[in-house]
Amino acid sequence: MANPTSNTHESVQSPPDGLSRRSFLRSSAVLASGLAALAASLAPLRHLNDFPTVEQFLQKYYKELTPEEMKKVLRRIEDEVEREYGLRPHLRDLKPMNGVEFVYALNLTRCIGCRKCVHACVAENNQSRNPEIQYIRVLRLPHGSLDMEKAEHNYNPEMVPEKGYFYMPVQCQQCKNPPCVKVCPVHATWQEADGITVIDYNWCIGCRYCAAACPYWARHFNFTKPSIPKERLNLDMAYLGNRPRRQGVMEKCHFCVQRTRVGRYPACVEVCPVGARKFGNILDPESEVSYILCTKRVFVQLKEELGTSPRFFYYFDV
Amino acid sequence: MTKDNRTGTVLLVLAVVFSALGLKFVSGFGTRLPATRIISLVDTQFLDTATFRKSYAELIREKADLSDFDCYACHEKGKPPVLKFDAQQTLIVPKEHEDVVMKHGTHNRNNNCFNCHDEQNLELLQARDGRQIKLAESPLLCGSCHGPTYRDWEAGAHGRTGGYWDRTAGPMKRQICVDCHNPHSPKIPPRKPAPGPHLLHPVASVAAEASH
Repeated sequence: MANPTSNTHESVQSPPDGLSRRSFLRSSAVLASGLAALAASLAPLRHLNDFPTVEQFLQKYYKELTPEEMKKVLRRIEDEVEREYGLRPHLRDLKPMNGVEFVYALNLTRCIGCRKCVHACVAENNQSRNPEIQYIRVLRLPHGSLDMEKAEHNYNPEMVPEKGYFYMPVQCQQCKNPPCVKVCPVHATWQEADGITVIDYNWCIGCRYCAAACPYWARHFNFTKPSIPKERLNLDMAYLGNRPRRQGVMEKCHFCVQRTRVGRYPACVEVCPVGARKFGNILDPESEVSYILCTKRVFVQLKEELGTSPRFFYYFDV
Repeated sequence: MTKDNRTGTVLLVLAVVFSALGLKFVSGFGTRLPATRIISLVDTQFLDTATFRKSYAELIREKADLSDFDCYACHEKGKPPVLKFDAQQTLIVPKEHEDVVMKHGTHNRNNNCFNCHDEQNLELLQARDGRQIKLAESPLLCGSCHGPTYRDWEAGAHGRTGGYWDRTAGPMKRQICVDCHNPHSPKIPPRKPAPGPHLLHPVASVAAEASH
């Protein structure tokens, strides 16, 4: 290419075949601005520090993992948690038990709205403390209606229960006909044989379709990297349950699979000071939930008109 | 000014602006990071799974000091204590038992110690049919009046449960009536609620906006 800048007199005439000073400046300006715009658009990448490792990236779909592969994955995740928190967790992959279908029953007569279940759940399931992710929302409703428009989350009186109100905790309803599962484009969430809808956090792509589909506001998204203080980390973990999540994945109540699939009660049931929360196997006629569904005034599957058919029942005493 | 010239100037200005912007983004100068607010950790008292109070049975299990339940340290055996009532027929709780608040039932119908305690042996309870019941087995006495609640409790539907739902995997942790209810004043008093969702919580902020 000729050097057009050597002769300024000629460049004014702008020879048609060469590159004039002006057109050089113009194209370099365009190039510079293009590069600057490119750099600007790539700048957010600098904040990316949580790149998936090769093993994470190449991990197979949960249902396709052989037991040996699953073992390797569990060890790898244990290593990851240990590297991050300095504590070695006990991570298992728990499968649904035979002849078990979980059902939850919540006594609206008893609930006093103390929110202990909310925080027991956060502690058990390693939810992010900042920003907060909470699976259970306790709604305060005025007596005499079930109008969700009148529900209030932020009640903060000196003492509960307050006169004239009742409290209605809402969490994942573990629907028999779950809309969240239908919309998931990658099958990262599915319903298991015991009725629990679970999420594979390593398969979730973070599209948040499920959160939009859920009529109960039960799904929560990790918009940032979850922050869990080391001293509050629950080391008893399950793959489909409470292992620490990454940024950009969905999470929700899973009936504490790390507890319930080894026969224990969920954390919210154990902490409820008034015994309003009942949990058990509906296929067992001797279970509390069977007794409640047979003998109590079980009034609602929340938003039952949507046809989601929740496994979470609200009932009254007497 | 020629048209060519003007285009060149505009392009140059754009180039300078874009370069400056690019420099700013790359260097991170003046970038405001997403607001981080300190959310204090919840008080561990709200994570406690202990019951509201401790029953006699629980105290026995814990091998705690049971001298409070030794009636005949003060009372005389075989000599039923005499109850005193005021002008409104309300029981006068003696000074030695001032921690007892008589608030069981409405309309003051339960203002007699011997509705539940055995007059002849103060260390026992007595049901309405005359059965003597040990203190540690008090649910039988409660059930003699509160039938439906007792039935619910037996089925596991009234009161707290813990431990294992699967009876083959481990024991279910049951509570008895007096683990939560004070027998002299069974209504459980109101309590302080645990902190609500933080305002940065998406649910809470939407609710706060809606209320404006």
